[in-house]
Amino acid sequence: MSVLIHTTDVVILVYFLVLNTFYALLLVLAIPEIWEQTRLAEDEDFQRLMQSDALPPITILVPAYNESATIEASVTAILTLEYRNFEIVVVNDGSKDDTLERLRHAFDLYEVPRTYPEAIATQPLRAVYRSRARTRLLVIDKENGGKADSLNAAINASRFPLVIAVDADTLIEPDALLRLTRPFLLGGQIAAVGGTVRVANGCTVADGRVTDARVPRAFLPGIQVVEYLRAFLFGRLGWNRLGGSLVISGAFGLFRKDYLHAIGGYDVASVVEDLDLVVRLHGYLQRRKIPYEITFIPDPVAWTEVPESLRILSRQRERWHRGLIAGMWRHKGMLFNPRYGRVGLVAMPFFTFGEMLAPLVEVLGYGITALGLTYGIVNTSFALLFLLVAWGYGMLLSLWAVVLEEASFRRYRRAGDLVRLILYAMLETFGYRQLTVWWRLRAFATVWKHTRRWGDMTRKGFSTP
Amino acid sequence: MTSRQFLLIVAIAQGTLLLALVTLIILNRWIRLRRKARVHPRRLELDAVMQAWAMGQSSPDEVLQGLGRLPLPLAIEALVTWSARVAGERWQELARALENRWWARAVRANSRSARWWKRLECARFLSVVATTHDVGRVLRLLRDRHPAVQLAAATTLERVGSPVLVTAALEQLPFLGPTVQAYYASVLKRARPAVLRHLKQLFRRLDDPRLPRIIEFAGRLDEPVLREGFTTLATHPEAEVRTQVARALGKFPHAESVAALSFLVHDDAWPVRAQATRSLGMIADQNTLPAVRDALRDPEWWVRLRAGLALIRFGAAGRNALLEAEVGAHAEARAMAGLILGLSSQALAEYAA
Repeated sequence: MSVLIHTTDVVILVYFLVLNTFYALLLVLAIPEIWEQTRLAEDEDFQRLMQSDALPPITILVPAYNESATIEASVTAILTLEYRNFEIVVVNDGSKDDTLERLRHAFDLYEVPRTYPEAIATQPLRAVYRSRARTRLLVIDKENGGKADSLNAAINASRFPLVIAVDADTLIEPDALLRLTRPFLLGGQIAAVGGTVRVANGCTVADGRVTDARVPRAFLPGIQVVEYLRAFLFGRLGWNRLGGSLVISGAFGLFRKDYLHAIGGYDVASVVEDLDLVVRLHGYLQRRKIPYEITFIPDPVAWTEVPESLRILSRQRERWHRGLIAGMWRHKGMLFNPRYGRVGLVAMPFFTFGEMLAPLVEVLGYGITALGLTYGIVNTSFALLFLLVAWGYGMLLSLWAVVLEEASFRRYRRAGDLVRLILYAMLETFGYRQLTVWWRLRAFATVWKHTRRWGDMTRKGFSTP
Repeated sequence: MTSRQFLLIVAIAQGTLLLALVTLIILNRWIRLRRKARVHPRRLELDAVMQAWAMGQSSPDEVLQGLGRLPLPLAIEALVTWSARVAGERWQELARALENRWWARAVRANSRSARWWKRLECARFLSVVATTHDVGRVLRLLRDRHPAVQLAAATTLERVGSPVLVTAALEQLPFLGPTVQAYYASVLKRARPAVLRHLKQLFRRLDDPRLPRIIEFAGRLDEPVLREGFTTLATHPEAEVRTQVARALGKFPHAESVAALSFLVHDDAWPVRAQATRSLGMIADQNTLPAVRDALRDPEWWVRLRAGLALIRFGAAGRNALLEAEVGAHAEARAMAGLILGLSSQALAEYAA
């Protein structure tokens, strides 16, 4: 028994050291990346870009399912984005509420025949509508098939070479598209670009725009502000220097349409369609030795409403982790496979062992420590010290994300918001982290069910001034 | 050292780092606020002086003084903002005056800096205040290894119409991505005479693998003097070249364009046929109606779509052709005609765009 506990302890310790060293590496790599991106963002001549016809036309894909409450405001906000050449394809995925009626009424829709081939198979279309009021808008009404199916239907209908998937409940900043096309303007071999998603809860929203960014006072959404900062500002930025992330947020990511066609669009069987899409994209481009970049830039911002109740948050996190497990299992052939370059040798192992298995190892760690303490094999003060170091490291990472935010974009102007950010970064480790571990752990039990849903979330709606 | 001692040291180091980070966050916020409070009034002051100068109510010296009081990035930002608002000659006067300022000389010297952001700063500065003396610097920045610097330097071409710079930009053009190429095209439009001269030479390099990109760029200029060059290239063995030629010729309603397009509409490559059909629709010469009507029976969906849309542009005759096809024997032409005739005028306009 004692040998077993000791061996497990050592394994967990090594896992902890390797993983945290890797996090430290990401953190270090994020510094030059954010420096470069901030400089480029500050020096960009948006006035000139807005007047230029050089920027590539973009199709914005908006899948909508039971979005009656927010669809009109969301589409109106998207229609007023600062970008010269774009169209919007909204897909009503057989909503049970009056999403389509709202759209029809708000934008004076009229039915038109379908004028494009069905390059990617989807659920049957009921009708295609154009708007008399806004010529940039196309609305597709189709049988319910899930978010991935809706996105595929929107890709089929899109006319432009770049497509961006945006959730109907996401608020895009007016200049976000302009900023998002920077990598294309800088001449990279770009396959996809991701922008930052921030938490809209607590912010003041007027006409579909976040006019006053605030850190929510409520604990749960407040903690998620720090989580999002950490995920985007150092996680994904660090990955830029390591061959590209495996995740471009489904709520805000720009893709080359020809590549999406080549891989057959979004996989309708996938639980988390964005992760699966990016992994398949990496796989496709690596196998064909096509030079490419899947990059993340931090200054284009989209705002999203995050769950405020434990019940909905737990469902969301469980679904995300279920998607991660399913994705890693599905693409296990890429793991440690040199054919896939850094994606196979670095990104896939990290996401499999560092992200997917992390909750299992963490719970095992807690369990073994408790067992060791019970049998007197592990020294109490040593165990507490170890726990302190592990938690302290988590705190450091969160706080570092706040440092990056402060050194670069400083969206939260008020001193009170800054204090709250620091507080949440410190408190996240105590209780909240363990909860997320539990939710992610549950995903291991439910992953075999192959549930595919829209990930229902009760929307509270954005606060108005 | 025991593992416990090691952990203790790590814990203490972490605690210290945590404290340091919190202090750093607070200090950073405080310093930035102080700096903003100091600099912001100066920027407002400069805007007022600029406004007065633009209206002829103050001298350039006052503007230069105001600029000198600002931190460099803010001064450049102000120059970029105001360059779009002040008339050309008046702005040139300021650009010339700036040549003698020490800080402007320092910025110019940064064109050789080892740090890319310094070179970018210089390129942005020159993009609004470059004079003929800066041609060498701009040339170096145009060939910079950092794409952001190249891009900012390319903007200078609007201001300094030097043949040397135009040639350098055009030589680079085929190696650029489509978006960057389009950006170059937009800035090179102002330096038109030098660009056209050089393009005509490039058109003669028939074996040049960069030819499709050069033609694509030339097509964006909508320049009639290039039409002859386009028609000559209609028989080029490279399909991509013919596609670009077919696309460009639609903008030039001329007998030779029509002849070339009538030839290209029967090309083996469907992208060439699609572009030629589209261009014939843009010119809408009634003599080409049969060719476009035939394209409605093309095996490729995109060519049929282009043909359907092109027929609409032929007016009543084209519409009649579509109505005939809608009840004709060819199933695919029938389907396409039905689809096109069902489109609203708004949708048609959008497709034609």
